[in-house]
Amino acid sequence: MPDIDAQNLEQELREIIAKIVEIDPKEIGLNVNFVEDLGMDSMMALEILSSMEKKYKIQVPEEKLSRLRNLKDAIDLTKEYLKA
Amino acid sequence: MINIEEIEKLVPQKYPFLMIDRVTELKEGDYIKAYKCVTINEECFKGHFPDTPIFPGALIAEAMAQAACILLKKSMPNLQATLFYVTNIKIRFFKTVIPGDKLCVHIKTVKMTSIGGIFETEALVDSTMVSKGEMTFACK
Repeated sequence: MPDIDAQNLEQELREIIAKIVEIDPKEIGLNVNFVEDLGMDSMMALEILSSMEKKYKIQVPEEKLSRLRNLKDAIDLTKEYLKA
Repeated sequence: MINIEEIEKLVPQKYPFLMIDRVTELKEGDYIKAYKCVTINEECFKGHFPDTPIFPGALIAEAMAQAACILLKKSMPNLQATLFYVTNIKIRFFKTVIPGDKLCVHIKTVKMTSIGGIFETEALVDSTMVSKGEMTFACK
């Protein structure tokens, strides 16, 4: 994936997460922990996963939900399933 | 078709909070269509409102949630959960529902997992959309 797409992906995912958690996208750094730093619960994580699937037309299995701990994980998961 | 006897086994809520009378269509993992017949005998009409009975939007949302609960349980028969908690809801209401209306709810799965689900929801009376939205709920 070219760099520019990676940057777009990062920003798009940041905005998806910010909308669900209802915070400023600027607060979501790559390694900011969803649970410890943003107070996210498992159902918010499910909403993020679902939004990722809808936006990028991918299917991520339920068992991958535990891997979704920060923005970097969201990017990695999306890239993984975009390739699949 | 799923009748009231089976609905009572699938939905944890009981009278006077059971909001589904019958399921007319269900495709596991995908969608459900169900309805509730709203009558003047509903407890809620004593206060909502004394001179102008209007079926509360909160109970329309509850009917949607209970239909989604049936869909989840029928789609995941090994699910051990007994309680369901709405964690996020965004619903718009277009028209009032009154005694005599047959409230039909159509629920479509967005994402379904063993910890809960996300569903697109619609409510209709006489094929007219009265409410539409999306809800997320957790099961335990």
